[in-house]
Amino acid sequence: MNTTTTKSAAASAVLDDPPLVQGGLGFHGITEKVSGIVETKTPQLWWILFFLALSGVLVLVGSIGWLVYEGTGIWGLNNPVGWGWAIVNFVFWVGIGHAGTLISAILFLLRQRWRTAINRFAEAMTIVAVICAGIFPAIHVGRIWIAYYMFPLPNQMEMWPNFRSPLLWDVFAVGTYFTVSFLFWFVGLIPDLATFRDRAVSKVKKVVYGALALGWRGANRQWRNYELAYLMLAGLATPLVLSVHSVVSTDFATSLIPGWHTTIFPPYFVAGAIFSGFAMVLSLAIIARKVFKLENLITIDHFEKMNKIILVTGSMVGYAYIMEFFIAWYSGNIYEVFAFVNRGFGNYAWAYWIMFLCNVITPQLFWFRKIRRSIPMMFILSIFVNIGMWFERFVITVTSLSRDFLPSSWDYYSPTTWDVLTFAGSFGLFFTLFLLFLRFLPLISMSEVKGVLPEADPHHGHTHAHAEGHEGGAA
Amino acid sequence: MKNRLPVATSHKKEYWLSRRDRDNTPEYQVLVRNEFVTEPPDARGIDRRSFLGIMGASMALAGLTSCRRPEDHIVPYVSRPEDITPGNSLHYATSMPLGTESEALLVETREGRPFKIMGNALASPIGNSASVWAHASILGLYDPDRSMHALRTGEASTVGAFADFWKIRREEFVKNAGEGLVLLTESFASPTLSRLLELFTTTFPKAMVVTHEAVSDRAILDGHALAFGTPLVADYDFGAVDVLLALDADVFGTERGAFEHARAFTRGRAVDEDAKRMNRFYLAESGLTQSAAMADHRLRVAASRIPAVLAALARELAANGVAVPGELLGKLPAPKDVDAAWISAVAKDLAAHRGRSLLVAGRGQHASVHAVVAALNHALGNTGATVRYVAPRHTRFADDAALPALMTALKESKVQMLLMLGGNPVFTMPADLEFRTALESAGSSVHCSLAVDETSSACTWHLPRRHYLESWGDVSFADGRLGVIQPLIAPLFDDGIADAQLLSLLCTGTLDKDGDIVRATWKALSDDAWRSLLHDGSRMEDIPPVAPAPNNAAVAAAVETKHFNQSAPSRGDMEVVFRLSPTVHDGRFANNAWLQEFPDPVTKLTWDNAALMSRATAEALGLKDGDLVRIKVGGRETPMPVWMMPGQAEYSITVLLGYGRRKAGRVGSGVGFNAYRIRGTKYPYVARGARVSPPFGTHALACVQDHHGLDTERMAREGVRERVPMLLREGTIEEYRKDPHFAEHIVHMPQLRSMWKEHEYGDNPQWGMSIDLNACIGCGACTIACQSENNIPVVGKEQVLNGREMHWIRIDRYYKGDEDEPGVRVMPVACHHCEMAPCEQVCPVAATTHDEEGLNVMTYNRCIGTRYCSNNCPYKVRRFNFLNYTGKLPEIMKSAQNPDVSVRFRGVMEKCTYCTQRIERGKIAAKLDGRALKDGDVQSACQQACPTQAISFGDILDRGSAVAKAKESPRNYALLGELNLRPRTTFLAKIRNPNPALEDKRPV
Repeated sequence: MNTTTTKSAAASAVLDDPPLVQGGLGFHGITEKVSGIVETKTPQLWWILFFLALSGVLVLVGSIGWLVYEGTGIWGLNNPVGWGWAIVNFVFWVGIGHAGTLISAILFLLRQRWRTAINRFAEAMTIVAVICAGIFPAIHVGRIWIAYYMFPLPNQMEMWPNFRSPLLWDVFAVGTYFTVSFLFWFVGLIPDLATFRDRAVSKVKKVVYGALALGWRGANRQWRNYELAYLMLAGLATPLVLSVHSVVSTDFATSLIPGWHTTIFPPYFVAGAIFSGFAMVLSLAIIARKVFKLENLITIDHFEKMNKIILVTGSMVGYAYIMEFFIAWYSGNIYEVFAFVNRGFGNYAWAYWIMFLCNVITPQLFWFRKIRRSIPMMFILSIFVNIGMWFERFVITVTSLSRDFLPSSWDYYSPTTWDVLTFAGSFGLFFTLFLLFLRFLPLISMSEVKGVLPEADPHHGHTHAHAEGHEGGAA
Repeated sequence: MKNRLPVATSHKKEYWLSRRDRDNTPEYQVLVRNEFVTEPPDARGIDRRSFLGIMGASMALAGLTSCRRPEDHIVPYVSRPEDITPGNSLHYATSMPLGTESEALLVETREGRPFKIMGNALASPIGNSASVWAHASILGLYDPDRSMHALRTGEASTVGAFADFWKIRREEFVKNAGEGLVLLTESFASPTLSRLLELFTTTFPKAMVVTHEAVSDRAILDGHALAFGTPLVADYDFGAVDVLLALDADVFGTERGAFEHARAFTRGRAVDEDAKRMNRFYLAESGLTQSAAMADHRLRVAASRIPAVLAALARELAANGVAVPGELLGKLPAPKDVDAAWISAVAKDLAAHRGRSLLVAGRGQHASVHAVVAALNHALGNTGATVRYVAPRHTRFADDAALPALMTALKESKVQMLLMLGGNPVFTMPADLEFRTALESAGSSVHCSLAVDETSSACTWHLPRRHYLESWGDVSFADGRLGVIQPLIAPLFDDGIADAQLLSLLCTGTLDKDGDIVRATWKALSDDAWRSLLHDGSRMEDIPPVAPAPNNAAVAAAVETKHFNQSAPSRGDMEVVFRLSPTVHDGRFANNAWLQEFPDPVTKLTWDNAALMSRATAEALGLKDGDLVRIKVGGRETPMPVWMMPGQAEYSITVLLGYGRRKAGRVGSGVGFNAYRIRGTKYPYVARGARVSPPFGTHALACVQDHHGLDTERMAREGVRERVPMLLREGTIEEYRKDPHFAEHIVHMPQLRSMWKEHEYGDNPQWGMSIDLNACIGCGACTIACQSENNIPVVGKEQVLNGREMHWIRIDRYYKGDEDEPGVRVMPVACHHCEMAPCEQVCPVAATTHDEEGLNVMTYNRCIGTRYCSNNCPYKVRRFNFLNYTGKLPEIMKSAQNPDVSVRFRGVMEKCTYCTQRIERGKIAAKLDGRALKDGDVQSACQQACPTQAISFGDILDRGSAVAKAKESPRNYALLGELNLRPRTTFLAKIRNPNPALEDKRPV
């Protein structure tokens, strides 16, 4: 494919946009490329990574086992600091998930066609991240064996959970989020699963992919229904992008602890979530692109767009940080003022400044086009953001609790080995599931990428084109 | 098949179970005995009380197994004993002896098992209050490390065997009039023990009787002996005092009669009743003590410089027209470099309040200081007004002066037999006496103690001592009351001997029942009178107070000019002050986990003692908190961790005695550092010439407050400084007179409205609490009483270091002002039972909810342990069971637990319930009586324990209730009330009465 055809096809967007798919890949090329990743012999590298990740899962299972056996006391929690790494990790993982939904739903509705190269990937990451997130609130409770009291299950005591508690809102918010994200992801997978089914050589694969493809034939009617369903799910998922982390933020915002009790939290958390999510997608995509040689599908332009989003959300987060300080000062409430001064200059100042550096200062480097398009730089910066965003949750959760109202109760929280192992183990789970995804499912949405090929445009070759939804087909 | 045995073997044998049963061989008899190991200890001639005890213990054991089927053989009631209703408590009066001081107590028992101790209002001037030690002694009864049998050279033996042994030795000693026999006792105040001791000295006239106590009032007695010619005990009337000056005396903490004095003294600060009168308290001391929390002005001065302060004061008093005896003035030096302004202001104040002032010096000061104090009190017209003197009765004080003679006798191998009644001299004797080595020169040695301690394990014989809760005895109080000790339970262990029994055995050679021995002392009493004594706990016997004039010449003669003009300590000549531990006492309570975990009232350290020194001193020595150093005094040294304390005199180090036990038991062994190792006979309380080595290691100290960096971070310090005046509100008496409502105005309170429908009061009683900060002395009796009442677990040092202590009511301690010259403020904080409780809103499973009586209740069974409630509690009073803190509790210690309160499992949040079990009991009792609940029917454990009645609790809707009245006080304010939580617990602001002459210079 040459540049002139691409140009005319993408004229509906911005005239100067470079092509979304490069290297002359056509319909078949894309199918071969993506399916090939799954169909070839499992590379040794995958096995190595998988076993590394799996040992992480063992660490997680072991840590949780010990936790259930011995009690929450194995963690570094104490009296003022009732929430530590477990909650930090929960918010961290939930936040990571947001990028996936944003890319797949909001960017879909906004017709950001470049999303197609990364949305599958990002959505898978969302689901895996939410699974990791879901573990923490379940295990952080003192009596794990009755954690199901959180659910509104009919019981002989006729006892409902407390609907005024933000933790209960979390249960619903995260539950809904997971369900919708999963459906959305799965629906998106159907045409590609059908492709896999059609190409499968072994009986087992034929049956499994066949069952998962739900009888997809690629018929016109199916496409019409499918696209409507996809659009509706995108519509459903869109408010969730905003609501989940808003609800998570109410865990803090509805409490009365200085440093938690702020109205800025819902938008601030959402921006932070998107920020961290994009950073995580970026980190993973850079590796996957390199390993699976997807340079033509995930181009440097994709990365640049993501870096711009990181820059924007990073600045929003930075604004929120500064605004918090301003409002605290403006409130004239000594406890409020202290909570924020303490963040910056108190016992956890080191954590605050790590957060500030990683989330506010280093992302500003993305103002430079060179850095936005430099793979090593963006990789480093995305890791920085991941670290920074974890610290943001740490700073919010721990510093506020560590020094609240009565100085007599102030204490310092430090994590124990078990805190660290549990967190490390959750990464093991994350990568295990993600590696399984890479091995068995199409990591790039073939049907959607095909839809943004110039050839997919009904007016391909015509001089005036108008963009029409998504079309493609199982080649 | 294993033999199941018939229960009754005495039946006429017609049927038989097995061949062995029929043959009834000796092996079979052994089998029967082994099978029924739980048979009552003494089946012959069982009396009613021990019968009840056995019944109760059995019932309790049955109850303890709760949901499981009991596996033990239980003895059912054939006919129900009188008075005992299973599930209902009975209270008995008794007394706890503690050296020469005793406490009149009421012990709550359930089915014969004592589990809660409180003061006996019928017999005690402090009502239902009792000291921390008394409250915690219930745990001492059930100490799993108590010895269960006698030891003879380390081998298991019995008291009976000792009695047989003694019978033979006694004959010899009777013959030689007790030559070579030494009796080393603890100090005591007991008619029976005094009677028996007299009998002992008549039986063995040549025997040596020595009394040793690690910390005693010996110097005070000696001082009074100097002044009055006879060792009198001072009986203070703190209620009549308008101006108090305490010199190195923790008058409301560890000094004699602290609680009684605190109650009387705080009555003189009840400004709501009489705003015109308020007493004033000056305190001069080397390191902050609990009493500093009450002080209006505090002078930081080395303990060895207290005599100099006193000398300067005497001169100032004379200058202000007080008739200080001339001979005394002539002898007293005119020390320079004491704080002349402070002393002059105090002297003026004292002079202006003649007959209504009081000088008190601490037991650590030299006898001559006490003599001078007595003389000055007399000159101020206080004798007979605020202080009277009484001759101690039935009392055996420590006689430190006799120790050298004992040591000589020991070293010269003149001691054939050393009998030790209680105490732990190997641990507590001054180090220079080297008692442990000398002990080996004794022919044989006998030590009677609760557990096999340092002394017991060095002796030929160890005798298991009966706990006071399981033995008979009596006590004598300084004010003329005589109290009785009655057993609350049959002895827990078969082998054991009560104090009276042992002393009687020594005299008579027969092992009589302790009850009979004590009754014999009281034979003048009719059975009726005896019974009413047992019921009331004590009876008053008027003792003539003496108001003698001091012999000023003798006092002056005792004054050593050098002693009264010591230079300030310096780097090469530091001072070490030895103080009684407010928690483990002299070490005797070291194995009591409640006390080990009870935070020191001022330092807030648990599970350790430390070398307390000022920041300047530490910095000059290049030390920081937790550094291990060696403190060297008089050629001896001991390791000790450093802890910097505000308000500590420069180059003066305070160390608490009682820690560093080696053989205390599973709780107390190896906890803390042994300060006795550097304590000498010449300087038992204040040593000079001490040096401190460079640090050689570090030691983690578990402090329940001020974790991490509070002292080093300027920002945090300023944050604290800014908010504490809002949290702990106080004003001067002048401010109060001007505007009684000043406390309300300290924080701007906007109009607060609720977003939700508020809880309605309805017809139910609405519980509330008021805590008077002007009365709270910060002793922490409430903390331990609550721990006992509510089965609060002990978590251990490591968990305290992790910030996981469990006390439901804690005493927050803040410093005020300059670090060098700080004031101390204390504030008890427990669950505030907010009407709009933030914890209730956030619990996802509704495990913490509001009840119709205004209680914020915890449903333990529903709690899943998210800890969200605790996070959202601004008072941080919720306590989480991070681990299973009660799982490894020894079986016997479970007997100390309150059967009305469930024991919480790990993963569950807990907190103050306002003693909901007591509320229910109160309601049931009122209902059974067919009347409405009235004020005082329900007393929370903390309220009951408070010596100064700072805590009032009750129905806030009942206009006549004490709590409703307290809440009407203009000083009433809600802690963090601006958060709109409507806490049911509110505080009454603290009022100070500063001396205007000092206030500018030294606001405390």
